Amino acid sequence: MKNLSQPSPPKLFSHLYIERDVLDHLQTQMIRRKFADSQVILIDHYKEVFNRPSQSFAAQSHSKKLILAKKEGKFLHEGSQYSDGFGHEQFFYASSVMGCLYDCDYCYLQGLYPSANTVLFVNLEDAFEQLRPYLGRDTLVATSYDTDTLAIESLTHQTSMWLDFANLYKNLYLEIRTKSANIKSLKSITPNPRVTLAWTLSPHEIINAYEHNTPSLKKRLSAVAEAITLGWKVRLCIDPVINTEKFAILYPELIEQIFRTIDPEAIEHLTLGSFRMSQSHLRSLKKLRRSDVAFYPYVVRDEMATYPEAIEEHILETLWVKATQYLPKERIRTWQRQS
Amino acid sequence: MIYVITALDAEARPLCEHYRLKRDTSLPYTLYRNEEMVLVVSGIGRMNALMAVSALLGWRIPKEEDILINIGICGAPLEYRIGEALLIHQILDGDRRYYPDILYTHLFRETSIRCVDAPQSVLSDYPVDMESSPIFQAASRFFKLHQIAFLKIVSDHCTPESVTKEGVMEILRSHVDTVDTLISRLRAIQKEPSLFSADERDIIEVFKTHFTKSQGSALEDALIYFRLRNKGKFLPLNPLIPNSKRERSLLLEELIATLTA
Repeated sequence: MKNLSQPSPPKLFSHLYIERDVLDHLQTQMIRRKFADSQVILIDHYKEVFNRPSQSFAAQSHSKKLILAKKEGKFLHEGSQYSDGFGHEQFFYASSVMGCLYDCDYCYLQGLYPSANTVLFVNLEDAFEQLRPYLGRDTLVATSYDTDTLAIESLTHQTSMWLDFANLYKNLYLEIRTKSANIKSLKSITPNPRVTLAWTLSPHEIINAYEHNTPSLKKRLSAVAEAITLGWKVRLCIDPVINTEKFAILYPELIEQIFRTIDPEAIEHLTLGSFRMSQSHLRSLKKLRRSDVAFYPYVVRDEMATYPEAIEEHILETLWVKATQYLPKERIRTWQRQS
Repeated sequence: MIYVITALDAEARPLCEHYRLKRDTSLPYTLYRNEEMVLVVSGIGRMNALMAVSALLGWRIPKEEDILINIGICGAPLEYRIGEALLIHQILDGDRRYYPDILYTHLFRETSIRCVDAPQSVLSDYPVDMESSPIFQAASRFFKLHQIAFLKIVSDHCTPESVTKEGVMEILRSHVDTVDTLISRLRAIQKEPSLFSADERDIIEVFKTHFTKSQGSALEDALIYFRLRNKGKFLPLNPLIPNSKRERSLLLEELIATLTA
């Protein structure tokens, strides 16, 4: 057999699978223009591509495809026990994208989805219609729960659409969680005090080892600083903390590094949380055999896998003590299993 | 191993010459093989293809690094050149649709194909063949979707009566390099190497026999954790196994703690 030279990796979204029903949607047309060289394959329903049996999540991660679809049914779901609703009367997360451009070893999406491809539901206007009846009461919506919406903002403009919508409703609060350093889209928008940009930050070594394709810590911190300067409300999240033998050095150093760059007074909260995952997602993650994170001997209780209590307490106590050097206690939030 | 499926002997012959495949009589099908490739001639049509692929893959169950390619001629609309090689990204079969994963760069023209029951004399909207759908259905039970490829070469513009054995051989002969390229692309997709060598796997399996199934599974997780964090480091498995059940459990607890420290 001839040994031919190794090919270059395929470009991102080399294939666009498009549901016939959204072929004429404005956003579909815009994306087709942006990816004019990509193969276009017409499909009837996103599940016939996204849910196929025998896909390899690991192999697909190196060549992600984009599926454009219409969301049928619920865009909004109630916030889960794994996340913080920050005391709002109602807490939803919006699911307008499935899959993420980033490829973090500890992410539950790998256990949740059968495919590493991205599904973009282009009919975001239907999400707004579904949300309207709830907006008589104080409501928090997390817009980037199943993905990192800011990471693909230049493609989807969904964050901008959410921000425009939030401007219309005084009871609507948004949390936009991200690891992205691209805040270009926020620069032309007047900051809304009911919108919180929440950056997930990890030590440089953890980013290198586990958060593939994500911006460096330095870039994230620059984006945080810029967003604050622009007047946005910012929350920082050291969550999930991954327990490694260098935890006691890496994470306290991270807090020091953050507050060398960011004025503690300028952030709304610092959220701390150690790695946790539902047991069923963890089982799926193990099947991929991609990362040691999946194989730690976690304690499983009530279907939730966490570090053993002593380790979890050590992690949170260490970081709490460090964080209190910079922030008052009421602005530090921790995620802990409810016993 | 590279599994190749063709419908016709005329499609197989040029490949047999190029890859120096020898006739093999292990199955009641026309079968050719060398050390790294096995080619089966399925015969024309849905049922023949389904049975031949099932027989081939059941006879020699594919390993993780194996690939399968269906190579053959197809009829196509006028916009496709006679002799043009097409890489299939969607197989249309009535209401069903199938999607091989194309995770590699290539220079082929990509298209959908319609899998039909009889040779077509009327131009369709897409190229047509008679085997892609059953081959996909059978192969996707054994392979991941990025390890299966369908390479179709346009033989006619839905004038099946114009297709001759010699013509098919000539078209295929002109595309043996194309097949080479496709094979190299399919093989280049990043494969995760095995975490444990065959020797290590043997030791692990023997070691696990001293424990319950659930203990064995916890040990397996800890070993994977250790190896992923310490690439190339020797596995610290102690061959001395205590007789008492309690002591064995303690040993396992300590071992898991060491591996995951």
